[in-house]
Amino acid sequence: MSETRHGTSEELLALRDGEGSAWVREHVTACATCAAEVERLEQVRAGLRALPSFAPARDAWPAVLEAARRERRRQRFSVWSGVAAAAAVVVLAFAVLHRSSQPAAVDVALQKAMAESAAMEQMFESLHPDRRALSGQAASVVADLEDQLARIDAALNDTTTWRSDPDRVAGLWKQRAGLLSALVDVHETRASVAGL
Amino acid sequence: MADALPIAEARSLVARARAGDFSALEQLYRAYERPVYTLARRLTRSSDDAEDVLQETFLEVCRSLKQWRGDGSLWGWVRTIAASKALMRYRREKLREWEPLEDDAAPASGDLPLQLDLEAALARLPERSRAVVWLHDVEGYTHEEIAELMGMTTSFSKSQLARAHERLRRWLGQGAGG
Repeated sequence: MSETRHGTSEELLALRDGEGSAWVREHVTACATCAAEVERLEQVRAGLRALPSFAPARDAWPAVLEAARRERRRQRFSVWSGVAAAAAVVVLAFAVLHRSSQPAAVDVALQKAMAESAAMEQMFESLHPDRRALSGQAASVVADLEDQLARIDAALNDTTTWRSDPDRVAGLWKQRAGLLSALVDVHETRASVAGL
Repeated sequence: MADALPIAEARSLVARARAGDFSALEQLYRAYERPVYTLARRLTRSSDDAEDVLQETFLEVCRSLKQWRGDGSLWGWVRTIAASKALMRYRREKLREWEPLEDDAAPASGDLPLQLDLEAALARLPERSRAVVWLHDVEGYTHEEIAELMGMTTSFSKSQLARAHERLRRWLGQGAGG
């Protein structure tokens, strides 16, 4: 006569999950009690999977978005100069190889726009925008400016922009400087009103 | 749960979100808000805790988007972040819930089953024990994966699952032997 003990919960769960030992597989074919228990465990699992899902009572998206924007500002400030330098090499190489009649014009316009953007970025960060409380209206303006800035950064981070339309790149850097300047204005106005 | 986003759409949204497109990030959030919150509710003690986990999960997703390689399920990646955030709360709060509950003692004669429904029985399990059941039986994590997430051993995960099912059997009024 074979063993008379029943399978343990752990053994029967392993069998349910397709990992049972040779002993428990053979045992269950001959033991109605253990076979019923495996069936019951399968039903419990099916019941758990059929339980309803939950929806949060509050929308967490505004908080996530605000944190994402802060993170983006932090990353932009820490990496922008590296991106700009690498991108400048690309565009200058392109200009030399493909537009030998006008390299100087591309070079000068780009360098100027990038320098303006860098100066504005430093001025903006020196205002510590993350530490400032803004009125609802100012916050809305800032959010809109930062969305525009994010779109420009996305275009500048896309190497196809540099390859396909290098003339546009200087324009993007110029727009970037303009948006940063507008952000500086909003924060400086706030600081002035608050006497900071 | 099946991934709410087809892989091609997931790749496109992640690429846009990485490039700074917040509307793409919001689409990712909306696609996974409910499953992440549901997972968090099952793994934590309260709706407030679950909301914290939901927010922490998406902040981590924002920070780590570059780490998703695009060759596996995006939901699987997000879900593991959510599970880690929820389980991290146990470590932070230093919960001491591995001691046996009263009903783990040998059943007294005349010990009647509670006849709870499955939702109530699941909620009655200790938090980490419930987490093992949910991660294994519902989310499909292996014992090895659960052990790694919880910083425990594989045999620990297996024994927790077995003990949890023994409790559920009693509470559901399904005595041994059916």
